[in-house]
Amino acid sequence: MSDAMQFYISTLLIYLFIDIMGVLGLNLQFGVAGIINFAYIVFVAVGAYTAAVVSLGPDYPGNFQHYVFGASWPFPLPILAGGAAAGLLSLVVGVISLRRLRSDYQAMVMLVLSLIATLIASNATGLVNGPAGLATVPQPLFDQLALPYLDYQWVYAGWCLFLTVVIFLFVRAITRSPLGRTLRAMRDNDRAAAAVGKNITALRLMIFVVGGVIAGISGAVFVEFIQAWSPGSWLYPETFVFLAAILVGGAANNWGVMLGTLLVPVGFLEATRYLPPIFYQGFIEAMQWVCVGLLILLFLWFRPNGIFPEKPGRFKPRVAAPSRPAE
Amino acid sequence: MDQLIPAFGFGLITASILAIAAVGFTLQFSVTNILNLAYGDIMTACAFAAYLANHAGVNIWISLIVGALFGAVFSMLLNRFVYFGFVRRGTRLFGMIIVTIAVSLIIQNLLLAIFRPTFFSYTASQGPSYHVGSMVFTASQLAIMGIAVVAMVCVHLLLTQTQLGKAMRATATNPGLARSSGIATDQVIDAAWLVSGALCGIAGVALVLNTATFSETTGAAFLVPIIAAAVLGGIGQPYGAMLGALTIGIAGEVAAALISPSYKDVVAFVILIVVLLVRPQGILSEIAAAKEVAA
Amino acid sequence: MIDRLATSKLHASLAAGALLILAACGSNTPSATPKTYTGTLTFASFNPFTGPDASFGPEMAAGCIPAAKTINDAGGVLGHQVQCVAVDTRGDPADAVPAAQKMIATTQNLVGMNGPSSDEALATVPIIDRAHLPMFADSGQAAFDKSTYKYFYRLTPPDDAAGVAMAIYAYNKGYRRGAAVFGNDLSSQGNVPNLLSAFVKLGGQIVVNQTLTLDQSSYRTEVTALVAATPDVIFTEADPQTDAAYLSQLQQLHGMIPVVGTQPTVQPPWIKAVSGAIGRSTLSQNFAAAQPYSTSQGPAWEVYNTALLASGSAVPQPDQWSQDPYTETDYDAIIMMALAMLEAKTPDPSFYNAFIPKVVGNAAGATEVHSYKEGMDAIAAGKTINYVGAGGPVAFDQYQNSTGAFELIGYAANGSNPQLAVVSASDIAKLRQ
Repeated sequence: MSDAMQFYISTLLIYLFIDIMGVLGLNLQFGVAGIINFAYIVFVAVGAYTAAVVSLGPDYPGNFQHYVFGASWPFPLPILAGGAAAGLLSLVVGVISLRRLRSDYQAMVMLVLSLIATLIASNATGLVNGPAGLATVPQPLFDQLALPYLDYQWVYAGWCLFLTVVIFLFVRAITRSPLGRTLRAMRDNDRAAAAVGKNITALRLMIFVVGGVIAGISGAVFVEFIQAWSPGSWLYPETFVFLAAILVGGAANNWGVMLGTLLVPVGFLEATRYLPPIFYQGFIEAMQWVCVGLLILLFLWFRPNGIFPEKPGRFKPRVAAPSRPAE
Repeated sequence: MDQLIPAFGFGLITASILAIAAVGFTLQFSVTNILNLAYGDIMTACAFAAYLANHAGVNIWISLIVGALFGAVFSMLLNRFVYFGFVRRGTRLFGMIIVTIAVSLIIQNLLLAIFRPTFFSYTASQGPSYHVGSMVFTASQLAIMGIAVVAMVCVHLLLTQTQLGKAMRATATNPGLARSSGIATDQVIDAAWLVSGALCGIAGVALVLNTATFSETTGAAFLVPIIAAAVLGGIGQPYGAMLGALTIGIAGEVAAALISPSYKDVVAFVILIVVLLVRPQGILSEIAAAKEVAA
Repeated sequence: MIDRLATSKLHASLAAGALLILAACGSNTPSATPKTYTGTLTFASFNPFTGPDASFGPEMAAGCIPAAKTINDAGGVLGHQVQCVAVDTRGDPADAVPAAQKMIATTQNLVGMNGPSSDEALATVPIIDRAHLPMFADSGQAAFDKSTYKYFYRLTPPDDAAGVAMAIYAYNKGYRRGAAVFGNDLSSQGNVPNLLSAFVKLGGQIVVNQTLTLDQSSYRTEVTALVAATPDVIFTEADPQTDAAYLSQLQQLHGMIPVVGTQPTVQPPWIKAVSGAIGRSTLSQNFAAAQPYSTSQGPAWEVYNTALLASGSAVPQPDQWSQDPYTETDYDAIIMMALAMLEAKTPDPSFYNAFIPKVVGNAAGATEVHSYKEGMDAIAAGKTINYVGAGGPVAFDQYQNSTGAFELIGYAANGSNPQLAVVSASDIAKLRQ
């Protein structure tokens, strides 16, 4: 295989695995627990920033970028720190916002949170270097392994695969457990679940934090790969790409959402890239977003439960499932 | 402190645009129960419609009417052919939010693809400046404020004095009951989208007159203040939205003068989140609460 | 809003590359013998083509394309035709790093590049240098004034030199109360520190220093603060929409104050947005901008301009770049790399890189050449050459920087950019920190 092909395939696999981690976390919150987290990308971002600053080394006067909490923690501590920081933020956000709001208001709070986070990261320049973001994040064990660049890519892909499998098994254990059944029950009918004595807020909070930790880990692994991170990388529409993957694959079905990830962020967005640049730079990107929008609409219209619908459980109806009109 | 009174004046301009937009947004929500997050992008589309008219040689104020008409028709068709279809198929509250966001992505990026990533301006004179105390307004800003007042009065008259307005309020309160009382709710919903779309168009053009240049993201960037104003006033309540717009518009500029201009938008965001979290019963107006039960 | 996760951006650039069978080797260790190349050699224009600094990319590509044309018209390099590819960094390090990695690993016969710009240089220069790819950066950051990267070259002056030129011009015009109004992006902020210190050293006073959050709908509160400080000149660089809103609101609230901008503020998108917002005549009466000085004349410029104007199919509206000093130096960079390949007798960057400084700055006894063709003939005749480019003579310092004078240009209502003043390199050097 040529170098170009190797680079291409290894990078694609790394992205696929990282996207799967991210989607599994969101699926836990959205598909399983019914929490509408339109700020999901913020938790990915927090994980990425945390992993970046604790591996960039202490900031110093005259540095070309400025940030807080600079340290040189060894692998794999930055990844754990990324997960922990995102989990902590999830806890705070969850305690404040996971109350009995109408689901559309809750969604709005999350959307606004996403916007605020971008504004703060951009304007508080001493925090994570403002709009320029952080760069030159070291790749884990790059010097120690001393591998040629392509070999390192394959090692990194293997590492991402390992993490993805661990997270997948963990998420599957949750969804299969009695806890998972309770979660789905309260997603479908929280009043009924409350009536049989389940503490809704605590359960939702717990799952929200677990999803946040997974988001943070995926962000950390991502930033250690691409070595740079800035507010432009995590604007709020990014969450919708994850969401589209879930809707396409089938919410609450872990195999389904993995297929969705393969199809949407990786396969679908990738496929349009094969088009030669036409008209002008930026045209294809704009049309890609148009297609993401259309894809979401088409799936909600024709297959609201995705390619692999969740196996029917005792509790119905599903939130997005066909039922009588809203009125 | 000598910046405070001028900042108050600037707040009035922002508030006028915000009021037009927020009333349209909330009116449509109250009647249809769809939280239309594509509203900001429809504003941009209207601004582009007015731009095309303006650059074909049409006076800017007539172009504003073009923008309003475009908004009205576009919104109604969007509902008929997209939103209402999903509602009929049973897509519910947050399913509809995802639908509206998908539509927002589509509109914004179609505009980008068609008009390319660059900046646009109207051919319009701001007119002479007038001093009111230490506040300064240009003729076109005074016109925008005038249009806002007229629009608010019209909405008030529509809701209180006309058959259609009463039908809208009835549909907003209880669609099932309205239908069984012989109100043609489908037509009422069409009318609500028309009125809301027209307000959206006026707000879009006024916003661009205010910022001098615009691009495909201009309207979307204005969506959060609109939602904040609507929510602050009790979503679904046109009069509340007017009040909310005044508060958000002035608070933003005053905060910019007192704290730091960088955090102007953050003020609107924080107000929105605090209201949503601290007084959910306040924003769950009687209408919305009744609807939740009905749904 | 169009930014997707850096994920998809990488995919963007990956896809095209994957279709190629052969790749320039990403290997880190140069071998003892030059690689052999088959087929067309590729130069990249690695710059923002989308995002707030989207004007940078086309400006750069407009230099590469006519350079490739003159090289190909002369028969190519060592039997190879050459071509240009555009690589979009989106002006954002998180997008630029994957774009750079992809470009290096997958672009067939990639032998040199223009870029990166200030927006992404700090993140990407180490990666590109590690890949042994000669780069002619348009980054203005002072961090590269003493660059030790072997493959890093810069023909354009640092942003802080632009700041000094702005200060000198304003002071000479009699302005004493300056206002600094810059966008919060990396490129814009690079001008600020030396602008402030130079203006104060000259005897002026900075009455207000504002950092603008980009693309707000209203800057009236900022404008009020500006007006309250009673400046007699505004120094600015921000993205087009931001400056347009800011300056139009200044016009409404107070009336225009003379503006001294930077090179990005003479770019077509900025001029379009701001002249649309405040009117062409108002802009023309109140505007000057500092840019690297180029005479835009002479034999090398003639060759450049002829090739540029003949590139209309690949460069939209080519005449807009005729007098652009960045486009001129981007053109020169490609010619210099091609000439260095001839000297090294190989297009292998690890070998020809060392010859790049040897094709310029050879005053005594060297044959002065003004085009690739002239250089090729002179080298074939065994002569030492001194390439004097479209952007003027090149003289690298020990850090492979070559900087010169600045000019201040205005804006006329007919769209032209009359020269207002020239600030010499030595005057700038005296005031730089």
